[in-house]
Amino acid sequence: MMRLLATTICAALVLGSCTKDNQTSEFRVGLVTPGSIADAAWNSGAFAGLQQIRDSLGVAVSHVEARTPAEQEEALRTYAAQGYSLVFGHGFEFQGSAERVSQQFPATIFVVTSGERVARNVSPLIFRLHEASYLAGMVAGGMSRTGTIAFVGGIELPPIKLAEDAWVAGARRMNPAIVPRSTYLNTFDDVAAGREAALALLQAGADMFHHNADQAALGTFQAVKESPAAFIFGANLDQSSLAPERVLGSAVIDLPRAFLTVAREAKAGGFVPKVESFGLRSGVIRYDPNPALLATVPAPLQAAVSAARDSIIAADTGATAARPAQ
Amino acid sequence: MPQDPQLRSHGHALRTPLLALGIGLAVLVLGLATAGYPPLPALAALWRGALGSPDAILSALLPRAIPLILIGLGIGLAFRAGAFNIGAEGQFYAGAIAATWVGLALGTWPRLVAVPTVLLAGFAAGLAWAAVPALLRVRFGVLEVISTLLLNFVAEALVSWMVLGPLQESKHTYPQSDPLPWAARLPQFPGSRLHLGLLVALCLALALWLFGRRTLAGFQLRAVGLSPAAARVMGGVRPERFFAAALLVSGAFAGLAGASEVSGTTFALFQNLSPGFGFTGIAVALLARLHPLGIVATGLLFAGLEAGAGAMQRDAGVPAVAVYVVEAVVILTIVLADPAARRAGAAATDPASR
Repeated sequence: MMRLLATTICAALVLGSCTKDNQTSEFRVGLVTPGSIADAAWNSGAFAGLQQIRDSLGVAVSHVEARTPAEQEEALRTYAAQGYSLVFGHGFEFQGSAERVSQQFPATIFVVTSGERVARNVSPLIFRLHEASYLAGMVAGGMSRTGTIAFVGGIELPPIKLAEDAWVAGARRMNPAIVPRSTYLNTFDDVAAGREAALALLQAGADMFHHNADQAALGTFQAVKESPAAFIFGANLDQSSLAPERVLGSAVIDLPRAFLTVAREAKAGGFVPKVESFGLRSGVIRYDPNPALLATVPAPLQAAVSAARDSIIAADTGATAARPAQ
Repeated sequence: MPQDPQLRSHGHALRTPLLALGIGLAVLVLGLATAGYPPLPALAALWRGALGSPDAILSALLPRAIPLILIGLGIGLAFRAGAFNIGAEGQFYAGAIAATWVGLALGTWPRLVAVPTVLLAGFAAGLAWAAVPALLRVRFGVLEVISTLLLNFVAEALVSWMVLGPLQESKHTYPQSDPLPWAARLPQFPGSRLHLGLLVALCLALALWLFGRRTLAGFQLRAVGLSPAAARVMGGVRPERFFAAALLVSGAFAGLAGASEVSGTTFALFQNLSPGFGFTGIAVALLARLHPLGIVATGLLFAGLEAGAGAMQRDAGVPAVAVYVVEAVVILTIVLADPAARRAGAAATDPASR
């Protein structure tokens, strides 16, 4: 039996080394997500982007979920070894492994969403979601009755802290006396923690909420929905549908549009790794008000928000901004 | 090999794992067909991901097998002595934390000294983590099944705290440690992700096999696992010593796995370092009927299934959970068909039997 097993393994190894990876020069795009694409937020947006790339550019695409650092590096590496031209690592956590893998596979372009820096053929994709959070903050500052606003964050990563600061700055612009409060959950998936945090903030008198806590924020929405007169602003996706009567608007990242922009550039050839940064100007970042509640926002406030948006766009010299997607 | 009396006496025992694997794959094919995925391309992708190319073998299959084999070996030893260590996941994290801590401090040491020191740190930390349940069991009769399991949660919380606190990278931005200095990294096979941890795992498998077959202590350990009372009365053995020693060593092996993962694969500490190695390791050990050399084979098998799962998702769009179903079916079949595994289960729930 042992001999049979050994023979099988040897045969497998020999067979294995004969069959080659199907290396082709065809343009193919791979996506590695750190979690399930059924999260209705960060990962599902990336998957929608991948599908858009397939449909708009007519190229072959592939997706794999990889939860641990080791699996993430393995996944990036496998795509590169199979000759994929463009591979998205969807999250800051891919920066280190993308840099390691890129040394051995210079022909593949690695794009790290929310990445840190350019390194060889590794390009970070940066979303200035705080530009939209600023506009949400203006609405919150103008609408708050209690004068207290609240922010629920996942982990205190730089882009999330930026969003919080912008949200507070926006609110101050409309009401300099506003009292900002915030909580960081140290998790992106603990729904109960998101709810507990919101209940405590409601106790503290907050009536306007904003978040950047992915799945954990579902608990925040729940708590806001159950309280008599609080409102919330969504993040990453248009989240109006989560609580149509209580979501005033959302700070949105149009991931499909961003992914398509990068893929189109890469496919055209001559892609130079650079910081791809998207703000309001690109149309990838937007503040989307909830149409059902738009009437409750006073017209002067709405006008102030759109004036602020225009001036942010005008101030964006395009030095670091991406061109608008066609 | 055929002269090995242990293997011969367990002769038909090899049939059970193969049967289990067969049933598992049959369930996979059925499941794929029912869910509307063409089974053949999916199976071809599974094969490609595990053994389809030198790159798949060196960079996916073997690196994944290293922690599974190390943890499986430790669990195999513990289960033989009747110590049901369900806490390998926590011991793995304890080892990873210690290895990171020591590794970050050894940047200026020569690699030849630094790498073994890092591995030893992981080994010692895993041992220390297992010492708590060993002490609780021997001194106070607290069931190790419960204490080892609960310590997993403590270890996971400790890692989260470490990567946001004392071991957080120097910019204090991301929940991870600084990368280990080059001197503290296990050498890698050029152009691949395979690292020297494999050699460590294989040597330990061989050592454990020799220990079990060639030494009195190995024999006594088995006797303790089969019947502590008989071992005490007939063999003059003190069962609790063997029991505690086996638990400690199994913790140390899991700690070593954590160290080798940090030093050879990820080069930094992360909260989600393990996809559940500590639990898959139990299956690896049971499927091999706790035989050290068999554990090498089953470790490779589970690593291959999981590497193949990635390929199935990449190339055929099949959700990776499909392979976990196969693993579950394999484990269930083994537990149902294998008297030894059943006995292990019974003993775990009946403390009086030892």
